[in-house]
Amino acid sequence: MTNERERRQSNDIILAVEDVTLSFGGVRAITGVSFDIRKGEIRAIIGPNGAGKTSMLNVINGFYFPEEGRITFRGQTRQRMRPHVAASQGIARTFQNVALFKGMTTLDNIMVGRTLKMHKGLFWQIWRHGPALAEEVEHRKVAEEIIDFLEIQHIRKTPVGRLPYGLQKRVELGRALAMEPDLLLLDEPMAGMNLEEKEDMSRFIVDVNNQYGTTIALIEHDIGVVMDLSDRIVVLEYGRKIADGKPEVVKSDQRVIDAYLGVAH
Amino acid sequence: MDVLYKVLVDPFLQMGGAPDLFVQTLWEGFVVGTLYALIALGFVLIFKASGVFNFAQGIMVVFAALTLVGLYEKGVPAYAALLLAIGAMFLIALGTERLVLRPLVNQPDIILFMATFGLTYVLIGLGELIFGGSPKVMIADQLLLPKGDITFQAFGGIVQLQKIDIAAAVIASLMIAALAVFFQKTRIGRALRAVADSHKAALSVGISLNQIWVIVWFTAGVVALVTGIMWGARSEVSFALQIIALKALPVLILGGFTSIPGAIVGGLIIGLGEKLGEFYWGGLVGGGIESWLAYMIALIFLLFRPQGLFGERIIERI
Repeated sequence: MTNERERRQSNDIILAVEDVTLSFGGVRAITGVSFDIRKGEIRAIIGPNGAGKTSMLNVINGFYFPEEGRITFRGQTRQRMRPHVAASQGIARTFQNVALFKGMTTLDNIMVGRTLKMHKGLFWQIWRHGPALAEEVEHRKVAEEIIDFLEIQHIRKTPVGRLPYGLQKRVELGRALAMEPDLLLLDEPMAGMNLEEKEDMSRFIVDVNNQYGTTIALIEHDIGVVMDLSDRIVVLEYGRKIADGKPEVVKSDQRVIDAYLGVAH
Repeated sequence: MDVLYKVLVDPFLQMGGAPDLFVQTLWEGFVVGTLYALIALGFVLIFKASGVFNFAQGIMVVFAALTLVGLYEKGVPAYAALLLAIGAMFLIALGTERLVLRPLVNQPDIILFMATFGLTYVLIGLGELIFGGSPKVMIADQLLLPKGDITFQAFGGIVQLQKIDIAAAVIASLMIAALAVFFQKTRIGRALRAVADSHKAALSVGISLNQIWVIVWFTAGVVALVTGIMWGARSEVSFALQIIALKALPVLILGGFTSIPGAIVGGLIIGLGEKLGEFYWGGLVGGGIESWLAYMIALIFLLFRPQGLFGERIIERI
């Protein structure tokens, strides 16, 4: 499986983060962090709680503006970005504490993910006729494909607020996939899941990467999962990068071991 | 016993005894109800998208109607004035988004609510500055709205329908239906509901909050204009008109702050309840109950369904 992925992977860099610094008031969340993500790879960001992992994702998709540093996505360099622009350029994400549209059904949630792909004018939409209807049908097909892919047919019409946590996470992944992103950011996709759910989610992540060639950056605390899934790993601690490389390398890095196990000073 | 008879039996005997009067009252209740629904709709749209109870909705009704009539008085042809009034509502939407909502994003709801108070006074001042404070007559004729009435023999008596009321009911119904379909079934409608549910998630799928806010405030502005025309044609265009916004409150409580069908059904229940209550039960306490009956009806509903008839069920996993 890893070989298959390596074959498709290129050395093209889809996203480069350079010297990014972010602080809230006087608190430094990220200090001078640089790393890159290659096209087609699964890149993990790990680190103890409060290391700045989620902040980093928020910088990448434009929720936070870094004070210093640059981000280059598909050759375009910028310092700050607005979330909906990031989305329109092909960055999708999920959230640590699931941010779904709770009152809406699974299907509607996924259809919202298609928003940027739909272009027919307001005039047709109002009458729900002609081109707008054709467009709606076409996008509905895509949404159904995603539902099949994630095996959530049975909850298609259920308001997502009623679903158990594991399924909500899956719907959230579906909504992100509906955007057909080039870069998918997953913030702890397996948090709070049992073993079986984790295995399912791992399988989906690998399948997304294989079938659609989507580049994935994920934050995850389950080290076993991270080592299995990812091609390369960045390790953050107190907002600084302490290691970066292939799983085997990171696993044996002394600073990483210290950060995770604690060290006697 | 006598009181019970007067409350529980006598009104219904009267209804049966004079069906023409009953139908007339129902009709009036229906017309007012559709207008209440329209006003409530303006609130619901904005509440759904920005989580703000827009205190300025009432003054938006006045301002829209005032712009229309004021421009006409300054010599602009009626339909051009209508288009310009729509344009003015768009500018208000744009201005509100830029100057009020955007700087206050992520602030607590109460801050935004207070900001709409500010907006109210800005609009009052602006309206008086440009068009003066004296009451004006709605240009119903010039807008080709029908006048006069239709009278027909039915139900053993005479039923009289004002043509302007028929027009109001038809236009309000069409507008409500179009908005309901628009917000339930289209991309922008879905985006709007998405924004209502979670700003963070909506942003992450590429929905621009700013754009949605402008669309929603503009839509609410157009709804305000239609309300202003219809209500203005029934009375006059003055700043006192903003009081009708208070009528929307019981409708919203009844229907739920987030539901378009709720606004419709709520509006009709309040409209019908008010007219029937006043006509058949008002006499028992010397009349004049119309102004507060709506709140009583809303209060009773509130006891049984705190989220309103069609309010979103509060789903929370613990």
